[in-house]
Amino acid sequence: MRLQHAILADMRFQIKHGFYLVYVIITVMYLIILSFLPEKVLSVLLPVVVFSDPSVLGLFFIGGIILLEKGQGVLMVLVVTPLRSVEYILSKVISLSIISVAAALAISWFSYFPSVNWVLLILSTILTSGIFTLLGIMINAGCNTVNQYMLKTIPYMLLFIIPCLALIGFPYSWLFTIVPSVAALKLMLGVYHGIIWYEATALVVYLFIVNYILLRFAVRVFESKIVYQD
Amino acid sequence: MIQVSNLHFTYGRTQKEAIQNMCFDVAEGEVFGFLGPSGAGKTTTQRLIIGLLRNYTGKIEVLGKERNQWGKDFYEQIGVAFDFPNLYTKLTARENLQLIGSYYKNKSENPEELLDRVGLLPERDVRVENFSKGMKMRLNFVRSIMHKPNLMFFDEPTSGLDPVNAHIIKEIILEQKKAGKTIFLTTHNMTVAEQLCDRVAFIVEGKIVNIGSPKNLMIEHGKRLVNIEYQMNGDICEQSFELTDLGDNPDFLNILRSAEIKTIHSCEATLEDIFIKLTGRSLL
Repeated sequence: MRLQHAILADMRFQIKHGFYLVYVIITVMYLIILSFLPEKVLSVLLPVVVFSDPSVLGLFFIGGIILLEKGQGVLMVLVVTPLRSVEYILSKVISLSIISVAAALAISWFSYFPSVNWVLLILSTILTSGIFTLLGIMINAGCNTVNQYMLKTIPYMLLFIIPCLALIGFPYSWLFTIVPSVAALKLMLGVYHGIIWYEATALVVYLFIVNYILLRFAVRVFESKIVYQD
Repeated sequence: MIQVSNLHFTYGRTQKEAIQNMCFDVAEGEVFGFLGPSGAGKTTTQRLIIGLLRNYTGKIEVLGKERNQWGKDFYEQIGVAFDFPNLYTKLTARENLQLIGSYYKNKSENPEELLDRVGLLPERDVRVENFSKGMKMRLNFVRSIMHKPNLMFFDEPTSGLDPVNAHIIKEIILEQKKAGKTIFLTTHNMTVAEQLCDRVAFIVEGKIVNIGSPKNLMIEHGKRLVNIEYQMNGDICEQSFELTDLGDNPDFLNILRSAEIKTIHSCEATLEDIFIKLTGRSLL
């Protein structure tokens, strides 16, 4: 019940601060650009664009959300309510996943791409969004300004995004699947280009485990850097 | 309700011993004031009891259980109002109360009634970003009591309020006390402490230097004198008399009978005087 209230509260917070509007504008922009691309280019760019939404954008959005909450002092209040740290974090993950899934569905639907695995699209967007939101929470825990957050985010971003380039023609790209973002992008490519069922299952299970481990870490970091000030 | 004994606490980062061998207790239904200058350890003690600081030594028993044995359910039973307003600025006053209220099992007090009590009902649908500091402080205060907690922590509850609104907040605190609630008040406003607290503790450099009821402390540390200002033969005169056997003092009785009394005061100490006397430091 508390989690449900927290998710609704987060969605309301995100709407009031214009995050939904930004998502709508970005989605429309993507759609306009994608509509001009030939099908061959679209088949490469569409998965990358849909993947970038919950990952790169998600990472910046969670940073902005937590910094706004810190600035208004509401985090101080939330820690003295019965809301658990894990509920606070899950609510951020779920609320941002909902908006990411909506954007991914809209971009994929209106791009009129011939073959989309919709179930896998939803799953991979949720799992990717989870990883980057949890990462954002951990990075943000020790930051008080946008500049601090940006500076701290860059190394993580490089660590997670550069290995994704290995998927473009690198012969040993399977080795990089251990990097969660590479696994997530592989799954996303499978959404549009097809993927063998056991590979998709293995990637989903792997990304689920990564999400779980990051959630445990995020709770620990959140409690040590935000809840307790000792 | 709260029992603190041999409490020590050192901040990990600075290695500064913020609390040293602190002992006090707060009874159920009591308004307990924690007085001291900035940096004395008031907020640290409050945070230790609330559970926002760990790794203390000694004992903090609160609501019948050692503090570090409590989980998040502890917050169902307490209300906290910090000394600065922490509100969702893009939400309205009513939405702020509803949002935080939804995290508690206890059914919240009617938000409209609470807002009305602190004069914010007409602004219930106004975004908090358009509120003055005083309005935010009032909203902050009612949010801390809306889930009907048994134990409340108020940090400078009248800070930034005009006298009328400060009076309303003080009235609500006294109503809560009447309803049997326990209140832990942190302040350096002596008038607030005097008006609200059953007992006060003076704290300086992490140590409690004295505890007692404001009235008793003021009498104990005051002079047993009465100052009288009067007009006689066109002149304004002032004189002090010992309180002992005052009714048999012929000079005092003569002034009462024959002069025009302007003012008459007993000379109990103020809480601020006591604090300075005990610690050699000012409260601000």
